[in-house]
Parts: sequence; C-alpha cells; structure tokens
Amino acid sequence: MSPRLTPLLLGLIAGLLLGLSYGWLVRPVEYVDTTPDSLREDFRTDYVLMVSEAYASEQDLDLASFRLAALGPLPPDGYATAAIDYALAGSFSRDDVEALNQLAVALRTIPRSGEIGGP
Amino acid sequence: MRQSGWLPLLLGLGLGLAGGLFYSWIVNPVEYVETAPGSLREDFKADYLALIAAAYASRGDLVRARARLALFEELNPAGELAALAQRRQASGHPQTEVRALAELAAALQGAPTPGSTEVLSASATPAPPSPTPTPTRTRAPSATPGAPFRLAAREQVCDPLLAEPMIQVQVSDAASEPVAGAEVLVIWDEGQDRFFTGLKPELGLGYADFSMSEGVTYSLQLSAADELTTGLATFECSDEQGEMYLGSWLLQFEQPGP
Repeated sequence: MSPRLTPLLLGLIAGLLLGLSYGWLVRPVEYVDTTPDSLREDFRTDYVLMVSEAYASEQDLDLASFRLAALGPLPPDGYATAAIDYALAGSFSRDDVEALNQLAVALRTIPRSGEIGGP
Repeated sequence: MRQSGWLPLLLGLGLGLAGGLFYSWIVNPVEYVETAPGSLREDFKADYLALIAAAYASRGDLVRARARLALFEELNPAGELAALAQRRQASGHPQTEVRALAELAAALQGAPTPGSTEVLSASATPAPPSPTPTPTRTRAPSATPGAPFRLAAREQVCDPLLAEPMIQVQVSDAASEPVAGAEVLVIWDEGQDRFFTGLKPELGLGYADFSMSEGVTYSLQLSAADELTTGLATFECSDEQGEMYLGSWLLQFEQPGP
C-alpha cells in the first residue's frame, strides 16, 4: 500500500466515525412534526379505535373516513380491518372489537374509487 | 508527522464526513416510522386531541381519555383542550367537536357537564397492548336527570374594567357546581351565534360570554333550558369621574334541585 494512502484511509475512517458518533450519540434523531401515518402499530390501532368510538355516536361515515385518511393512502376499511386483527391478537375488550367491527362494516359500504356500484 | 503528511489525513477526514452525510441524507435518509402521538406536528396533534375528545363524548370514559392524553408530555390537558375549543369555534369547526373538547376539558377539571348523570369507573385490568384501560360503566342515581335549567338571576353589570359590553352567562347544576360545555344560543335581528361554557376556565368552568354591539337587542337561550331571555341590549353606565360607558348583562342559570 502506498504510504500516502495510509493517512487518507485513517482520515476516512476517523471522518466516518466522527459523523456516526455525532449523528447517533451527540445529536441523535428527534422525532418531531411527524404525521399520523408514521404512528406505531399500537398507537395506530388506538387511533382507529377512537375513530370507531366517535363514529358509534356521531354516525358520520364521511367524518370517520376523513379521520382515517390521515393514516395513509389505503382505503379506510383497510385500516379498520388491520386494527381488528391487532385488537384480536392483543386481547382487546369485546366492546372495543365490536366498535371496530361496526366501523369496518360501515366503511365497506363505501364504493372504492373506480368501483362500479351495484344495481 | 511532517506537514505534508496532514494533507491526506485531512482529505480522508473530509471525504469520510462527506460520505457519511451523503449516505445519511441522500442514500438512506431518516424515515419516521413507529412514532408516538407526542411527536405529531401541531395541526395533527390538534386533530388527535379533538379525536380523543370525540371518543370521550361518545363513551364518557374519562380514564381512557386521560390515558390517551398522557401520551402528550408537557401538555396541560385541560387548558390545552379549552384553548383548542376556542380556536376551533373561531375557525368554524363543527359545534359537536367544540362541545366535545369543552366537555373533556371540564371533566378533567372535575366539573359536571350538561346531563352528566353517569359515574364512570375503570376496571383494574388494562387491555394490553393498548395504552388505554378497559372501562366499565355504572350509572349513578341522579335526583334531577335532565331537568331543564332555569334563569335564576338577571343583572345589569356596570364594570368599567370590561373592555366591551357583553352578555355574561354562569351555569350551575343542582349542587351549585359550575357546568361546563353548556350550549348557549344568542339571537339578534340580523343573525345568531352559539357558544359554550367552560371555554375560559380561568373565569370559571360554568362561565361564558358574548360581546354585544351598541344598539342591538339580543335574546338568549340556554340549550338545556326551556325559556328564552329577551331584551338584552347595552345601556349606559357612568364611572366615578362621570365618564359614560356601556354596561353588560349577567345571566345566572341553575338546575332546579330535587
């Protein structure tokens, strides 16, 4: 190896170590100004549960869909179904699962874009 | 090390730093995943709080609402919810949303809300892994369930410290406790408006006010009351120096006792 390359490689490694130390230890990433679509699965499920609880009394499907749209680009019933799966796996109370189920059933009545309505 | 020996080292250092930043910013930038509600942007946080209030309005589960609000560190829940209710009312959000926020703010401060005849308790076992405990509901007897509120006092107020003439409303229940979240409808010749008690918790949870214009006569109805209060118009008051200013009205509503 050329004697000139040794300090170059040493500097390269030191630079990388400095960059990583700065990024991971001195000033690690802080999660601020995030959006609901980045929520962890349990928080996301609780979000959908809140929507279903509110829907139970408001009976406003448009509002429920609008609230679920904050979670991402999937159809709203997809989020409700995912929340039911998580709730069943996590032993949520029967009331909670029932509320989620009612919301999912209601959301499935909304025709998806491009879907042709029934007779 | 000879002076010329530093050059490759510094060059390597610079290249290393540049490579690290290029990798972390361009090739593989940070993706926000698995975040908690506390890190949400302000507008999404406001929507999240409104959703907590809407869920509370539906189920009346204060324990669960508290658990959800606890996800937001450095938050004064009652004050923040009341302020949010005022902002959303001013920006024309649905009244149901404003009311839910006001009611939750009041409930967090231990105040009764209109028609609140339920006592909620939580079971000891939370529903894992959700951060919210599973509630059970029990209905407590109430001596006056749904009893309409009545106007107990109607007073003219001459207070030079008030910046403008206003209709001030105080609502209390049968136990003389202030009632937050009570809806008030005010009507005048050319329009109407709604507001809620409890949006200014610093003035009392059962308090609400409405700014009056000179020369306009208002009528007011508490949504939980049968009667309409009419003939509310500004009037003249004078201070100690004889200076004239416009006076306000104070209306006190109470729920009849058993």
